[in-house]
Amino acid sequence: MLLAGSIDVISGSLECEPDGYGTACGRSCEGAADPRHAGGEGGTRSLCLPLMCGIAGSTEDPEGRKVRGMCATMHHRGPDDEGIYSDAASGVSIGMRRLSIMDVEGGHQPLYNEDGSLAVVCNGEIYNHPQLREDLLARGHRFATSSDTEVLVHLYEEYGEELVHALDGMFAFALWDEPRGRLLLARDRFGEKPMFLHERGGELAFASELTALVAVTPGLRELDPVAIDAFFVFAYVPGPGTIVPGVRQLAPGHLLSWERADPRSRERPWWTAGADGLVPQERFESVLAEARRLFDESVRRRMISDVPLGVFLSGGVDSTLVSIAAAKQSSKRLQTFTVGYDVGSVSETAQARRTASYLDSEHHEVTLTQQMVAERAPALLAGLDQPLADRALLPLNVLSEFARPRVTVALGGEGADELFGGYPRYRWLARSRRAESALPAGAARPLGALLRGGAARVGRGERAARRLAPAPLLERNLDWVTSERRGARAALYGPRMAGVGEGRVVADLAARAGGHRGEPTVRWLMHLDQIDYLPDDVLFKTDRAGMLASLEIRTVFLNRELADFAASLDTSVHLAGGGKAIVRAMLPDGVINTSALGRYRKTAFRVPAAEWLRGPLAGALDRQLERGVIYGEGYFDREAARALVREHRSGERDHSELLWPMLALGLWADRFHGLDDG
Amino acid sequence: MTARPRLLILTPDYPPAPGGIQLVSERLAAGIERLQTRVLTLATPGAAEFDGAHAAAVHRVDLARLPHAGRLALLNASAMREALRFRPHLTLSMHIVASPAAAAISRSLGVPFVQYFHAEEIGARPRLAAFAALHAREAIAVSGYTAGLVRAAGAAGARITVIPNGVDVPVDATPEPVDRPTFLTVARIQERYKGHDVLVRALALVRAQVPQVQWVVLGDGSLRPGLEALARSYGVDGSIRFLGSVSDEQRNSWLRRTHVLAMPSRLPAGGFAGEGFGIAYLEAGAYGKPVVAGNVGGALDAVIDGVTGMLVDPLDELAVAEAITTLLLDPELAGRLGAAGRVRAREHAWPVIVERVQSVLLELLAPSAPASTGGRPHRGPARDAA
Repeated sequence: MLLAGSIDVISGSLECEPDGYGTACGRSCEGAADPRHAGGEGGTRSLCLPLMCGIAGSTEDPEGRKVRGMCATMHHRGPDDEGIYSDAASGVSIGMRRLSIMDVEGGHQPLYNEDGSLAVVCNGEIYNHPQLREDLLARGHRFATSSDTEVLVHLYEEYGEELVHALDGMFAFALWDEPRGRLLLARDRFGEKPMFLHERGGELAFASELTALVAVTPGLRELDPVAIDAFFVFAYVPGPGTIVPGVRQLAPGHLLSWERADPRSRERPWWTAGADGLVPQERFESVLAEARRLFDESVRRRMISDVPLGVFLSGGVDSTLVSIAAAKQSSKRLQTFTVGYDVGSVSETAQARRTASYLDSEHHEVTLTQQMVAERAPALLAGLDQPLADRALLPLNVLSEFARPRVTVALGGEGADELFGGYPRYRWLARSRRAESALPAGAARPLGALLRGGAARVGRGERAARRLAPAPLLERNLDWVTSERRGARAALYGPRMAGVGEGRVVADLAARAGGHRGEPTVRWLMHLDQIDYLPDDVLFKTDRAGMLASLEIRTVFLNRELADFAASLDTSVHLAGGGKAIVRAMLPDGVINTSALGRYRKTAFRVPAAEWLRGPLAGALDRQLERGVIYGEGYFDREAARALVREHRSGERDHSELLWPMLALGLWADRFHGLDDG
Repeated sequence: MTARPRLLILTPDYPPAPGGIQLVSERLAAGIERLQTRVLTLATPGAAEFDGAHAAAVHRVDLARLPHAGRLALLNASAMREALRFRPHLTLSMHIVASPAAAAISRSLGVPFVQYFHAEEIGARPRLAAFAALHAREAIAVSGYTAGLVRAAGAAGARITVIPNGVDVPVDATPEPVDRPTFLTVARIQERYKGHDVLVRALALVRAQVPQVQWVVLGDGSLRPGLEALARSYGVDGSIRFLGSVSDEQRNSWLRRTHVLAMPSRLPAGGFAGEGFGIAYLEAGAYGKPVVAGNVGGALDAVIDGVTGMLVDPLDELAVAEAITTLLLDPELAGRLGAAGRVRAREHAWPVIVERVQSVLLELLAPSAPASTGGRPHRGPARDAA
């Protein structure tokens, strides 16, 4: 029950502080050719996108000029800090751009070991660094700074490349081993921090941002139709490729080593997701006790003493659990934030208030108005490294900006659904597989076809039929997550997309997942989401949304011991009850109104996209249809798009599932197209 | 020749079923000579051959179709009948599930009982543990950690003597050659607290410094498939040999070959009981091998830090890896710790342990002992016979 007056609900709009980093602050860049520049059409403000911490490096850059150029694209006016190390003899330079306002526990980088033979730049945080430092000090290492990153060079002295196995954190780092002439790049296991690579003519270049690589490398101006196809189907660009041919990502959980003596890049995984189903026979109480221990330890490591913490409350179990654990361990009053809208029917604010009351947190509600959408969305979507059509990007960014003046760090619940079986489709698909196995052999496929055909004829229930009727599990999973986009492609694509095979996107996905023996299981789907959706949509979104506001978002569920533990449990343990059984069991009773939760299908950050496309973003859509490069260059068919927009605008149909990705891609492509070539 | 006092040993667990409680029950039954012993236990596959081959007097009860709880009730009921027939002077309850019968025998026949405590059973049934401790004339706990668990269960004033489990010490502990640096873990892969998961993560770090290392894992359990999958995830499966459950001879052979025994048991989450003692550490010592253990729980009794092994934070993969690597790369240090481990193992050889238990039992029967028939003995704070 909500106790009136017991929580401090602060409603507000975003302020534009004199030295803040808001996208609404209207700073101008050095002209439209500045890669940080976005927007400015149709009377909207042009914005200079602030950026983030980033690392960069090249093996053909003896004076660091190229790296300086890459760091400059990650530049924003304001207090910041740049450091570049160049080994002129080998031609290798590595550099880091860090915003001082982001100085959580870090220091100036690059960082070095005792004799200066190793240099490292790292984007991210090593959460277990206090314990690591203690162990290393006991072994005789000497530290020059209090930065968490410094443990990396000392761990390398002990373990070489295997140092990644000592880390609990989110990281993408580059380490230069001068005596051996070896460059080591590493990315964290889930892909929380980005790393883009480009190789040409024996040179290896890397950067935290695709835009940085593109800005300093001539000739990287093409777009890959296969990647565009995948983007349109999935609403994100799946790794390890990118939308720019020639640029790829260092895959999550991978290492890359490069040696001056043998200058070829060698990539290998240091961790791979397991796809096997496991059936331990433990008592649920001891499973739960272990989960709690690991979860609390993860929160403890991610907190900083004596500094207020923020949590974004969505009303769902993940953020609620995170906030309860944080409040328990924090000596300061927790700051909680929720976003609301002025249009549409989605609201998380009621449950969030209940949780805030329970926590006695300082609770803030931010309204993301249509006005704000009109002002911010185009620049935000255009300015990303790669297009992203996850609609939660905008509310998450707004929350981050609102939180930033009040907290340095926010704790996030990302990853819980993938690791702990939270998505409803896992349960549905598991159930239908069980039902299917009860059918007589050979009846399943024809029955499936019959059901789908029947639904098509009747004109209703097609969605349900496609999802539940017997068919290969991957197909059904895809249908579920990609809505009708797969089928709509043919009508919407232009001639530039002709070369992309229809089945390519599915084949690529199955290949990335490493295939499976026999029929795939729901476990395999969870594994697939972990290696694909999680890094390239969820974590990409979280990283950018937060970093654009200079707020560091620390995920709690992606702690490696907790993730290992989740992986050791059978799917049936996770999917029991309403799904995500372990997470729910860790919640105290009564905090979440479970009857509401029952009706509450996964709606965290569900946004009124349909309304926005009819209202505040109508102008952007129209401008796109008129002048957008994706139509001009023949990727999409202008007339088909126009018809969609008309239907959507008339209220006859809701085409937001199709229009949002097209808008996101179009805005992004226009900015990309407008960049100077090298 | 004076007749020996009679001792009734009640235990649900007895060989040929495997396990620690089974083992200590049998060793006591076979080794206690100054009392005439009789064992009452449950039937188990292979029991007839086992009992036929061993001298101890064993009576088995069974109604095979009953679920486990029914069998325990039957054991308790049969115990009274057995007591009436055998007329013991003393009862030894090896597991708290037999304590209701032991207490009933004590009340009705005036026969005191001694209760044995291990660890896990206390966490699983704390109220029964407290009952047993308060009604027993004396309690024997296998470690200081276990004694603490008993007191924490509600028997703060109980009289507890600490006597660890014993080991078989081979006369000849000559090592066998092995072609790679090896560390060994011998434990059921059934409880997370044993620390197999930490060892998987630590192995990646050990291997970085000792490239040829192999980890030999003896034992099986429902967590094994998960552990193998974890090893594959971290890319260390090529350096692990999962050999499953093996015979005693094979286990001893590996103890001769290995360089280190590692078992970083931690305190389980949620207040459940963990490592009661860790007889595996002494078994390794019996073969002259150093050990790496967690610095918590029963291991604190079993291992002397820096003397017979290395105690580290069982949740710190780096520390666990460092301890193993240090021992693998420093044969002189390993040899020193192993030699001290063998001395310690001899102090815990079964004949020695049986003698200590026997002393406790005989002292209870000595004429100077109070003749009270059951009820709570409040003779002051617990005495630890370390």
